[in-house]
Amino acid sequence: MRILLVEDDPHLRRSLAATLREENYAVDVAEDGEEGLSKALDYGYDAIVLDGMLPRLDGWEVLKRLRPGTATPVLMLTARDTVRDRVRGLDGGADDYLTKPFDGEELLARLRALIRRAAGQTRSRIEIGPLVLDTASRTVTVAGREVSVTAREYGLLEYLVLHRGRVVTRTTLYDHLFDEEDRSLSNLLDVHVSNLRKKLGIELIETRRGHGYIVP
Amino acid sequence: MKSLFQSLRWRIQAWHALLLFLVIGASMLPALHFAHESMQRRLEDEVQRLGRNLMRSLSRELRTAAGEEDRGPMVPSEFVRRLLASPIALPADLADSFQGDEPGHAYASFRNAEGETVFQTANAPAGLAFLPVHEKEYQGETRFVGHRCEQASSFPEGLAVVVGRDISPDIDRMRTMAGIYAGIGLAVWLLGLLGGWWLSGRAIRPIRTISETAGRIAEGNTDERIDPRAMDAELARLSDVLNETFDRLGAAFERQRQFTADASHELRTPIAILLSETQRLLKRERSPEEYREGLAVCSETAQRMRRLTESLLILARQEDSAPTESGSLCDLAEVVEGALEPLRAMAEKRGRRLEARLSPALCRGEAGALGVLVSNLVGNALEYGGDTLVVCGTTEGEVRVSVLDDGPGVPEPDLPHIFERFYRADPARSGDSGHSGLGLAIARAIAENHGGVLHASNRPEGGARFELHLPRAGA
Repeated sequence: MRILLVEDDPHLRRSLAATLREENYAVDVAEDGEEGLSKALDYGYDAIVLDGMLPRLDGWEVLKRLRPGTATPVLMLTARDTVRDRVRGLDGGADDYLTKPFDGEELLARLRALIRRAAGQTRSRIEIGPLVLDTASRTVTVAGREVSVTAREYGLLEYLVLHRGRVVTRTTLYDHLFDEEDRSLSNLLDVHVSNLRKKLGIELIETRRGHGYIVP
Repeated sequence: MKSLFQSLRWRIQAWHALLLFLVIGASMLPALHFAHESMQRRLEDEVQRLGRNLMRSLSRELRTAAGEEDRGPMVPSEFVRRLLASPIALPADLADSFQGDEPGHAYASFRNAEGETVFQTANAPAGLAFLPVHEKEYQGETRFVGHRCEQASSFPEGLAVVVGRDISPDIDRMRTMAGIYAGIGLAVWLLGLLGGWWLSGRAIRPIRTISETAGRIAEGNTDERIDPRAMDAELARLSDVLNETFDRLGAAFERQRQFTADASHELRTPIAILLSETQRLLKRERSPEEYREGLAVCSETAQRMRRLTESLLILARQEDSAPTESGSLCDLAEVVEGALEPLRAMAEKRGRRLEARLSPALCRGEAGALGVLVSNLVGNALEYGGDTLVVCGTTEGEVRVSVLDDGPGVPEPDLPHIFERFYRADPARSGDSGHSGLGLAIARAIAENHGGVLHASNRPEGGARFELHLPRAGA
C-alpha cells in the first residue's frame, strides 16, 4: 500500500513516515500543500494523510482541488478540532478526520479501515477459500495454520486480495508497493509472486500474460 | 426566590396602596364628619321643635280645660303655674308621636321643683336626667344620650322638662351612609390598586426585558444585545451602558478564547510529535542510534513547547496588565544595550554585523519588558534579515528605537499580518523549532502596554525596518 503524507512540521513528518514505513506502507512525503497536491494528482495512492494547516495551500484547499477528480481516501490530520472545522473537512471530501495530538495506533487503524473500504471490503478479515488474510494483524493463515510471509509478500498479497477479481498490472503494483525512495527493489516483484505461490498454492495468484496478476 | 418585599414591583404596590388609602380616607372622613354634624344639628332642631309643639299643645289643652279661648302659646311662667296647678293628660294630637317604642318615637317628662313627676308620657325611659331648677333664669340644653336626642330645660317657676326622641332610625341611616362611603372608598382603593399594579408592571417591563437579555447573554449567547430603541430615555442610557459592557466583555472573552485556541493549537503539533515518536520507538527493540535520534527529537520538541509556553505567558501578562504609565524611569539606550549583549554571539555565529547607535532616551516603563521587545526585534532581524543596525534616540517629544537590516525585507502581502500571533511570513520555516510565532505579537503588546506604537516597513534601499515609538518621560 502506498501512502502520501502531507505534513509541514519536519519532526512530525519524519516520525509519522517512519511509523508508517515500519508498518510496511510505502510512504511518500510532501511538506506543503502544493507539493502534496501535485503528488496526489500524479500517483494513485491508496490513501493520503493530509495535514490541515499547511503552507502555500492549506489542507482544505488541497482537498477541494483533489475532488471529485481523485477518489483516493483522505485522512485529515489537523490541530483544529472545532466541529465546524471537522464538518468542513468531511464535507470538503475528507473520508476521515483525526485531531492532533492523536494516538499512533488509532491513525494506523483508521488508515487500514480507509484502505479496506476504498477497496470495497467491510471487514478486516478477508477469506478466500481456506485462505484468511487479517489486515489488522497483518497475518495470513491457510486452513487455520499461520503462514509466515515477509512484509513485501504480505503487501503484495494484500493488494491483490483487496482488489480481488480485478487484473492488477505490474505498473500498478510498482506504484502501490514501493515509494519514491524505494525504486531499486522493483525488479523483485516476480520473486515475491513466486514465493507467495510456493507458500500458499499455485492457484491463488494467476498471471495474465501481458496484463498483470489477478486473485480470482 | 426573593421575598415579596424585595420585589420592586411589590414594594411600589405596597406604598401605592398605603398612599391611596390615606388619600381616600382623608377625603371621605371630613365628608362623613360633616354629614354627622348636620344630622346632629337637624336632630337638635327637631327636638327643640318637638318641645315647642308639646308646650303649645299643652297650653292649648290647659286653656281648653279652663274653658278659655285658644290665644296661642302661653308665656312660660303662666304655663308652668297652670301646669303645676292642674295636671293634664297627653293631648290627642300628639298621642301618635309620643307613644310606643317604635324607632323614632318621642317622649316627654315634666317634674316640679321638688322632683315629683307632673307630666310624663308612657314611653319615657327611666333614669332621665333633669336640669336643676334655678331660681332666677331659664336653663336649657340639648344632648345626645345613647339612641336618644333630648332637650332638657328648667324654668325658674319650678318646672324641669325633658323632651326627647329616639334617633335610632337616624343612626341607622348614618351607619348606612358610612357603610356606603366605606364601600365606595374600598372600591376606589381596589381600582387604584389594580391600576397601580398594571402601571408598575408596565414600568418594570423594560427592566425584565433587560434582565432576560442579560440572562441569555450569560447563558452563552454572547452576540445578543439589548435594543435601546425599545426603552424609555432613562433605561435607554442604562441599556447603552450595559451593551457597551457586554461588547467589552465579549471582546475580552473572544480574546481569551482565541488565546486558548491559539495556545492549544500550537501545542498540539509538538504533543503529536512526542506521542508519535515515543510510540514508534517503544513498538520494538531498536539500536542505540535509533533511540538517540528519537530522544533528540523528543528533547527538541519539549524545548519548543517550553519556549512556546513561556512566550504565551509573557503575552498573557502583557495583555492582562493595565498600561504602565507610571512605570519607573528608564533610559531606553541602556535597555537596548543590555538586550544587544546576548545577541552579539548569535550575530557572530551567523556572520552578521550588529551595530548600535545609542543616545540617551528617557521614558517610563518596565525595563525588563522593553528589553524583551528589543531582543525580539533584533533577534528577528539577525535571523531573517542580515547586518543589523539599532538606533535609539529622542525626537520631538518621543523616544524612538529603530531596528534596520539589509536583508530581503518582509514580503508586502505579509506586512499587515506579521504582528498577528502565530503568523509566519515564511511558510518554509513554519514549525521550525526555534520560533513560536509569537515574538512580534509580544513586541507589539509590550509597546502598546507602554502607550507606544510599533511599526514595520520595508526600507526603499532594501531590508526591513521596525520602529518603536514611546512617549518621552516628562513630556
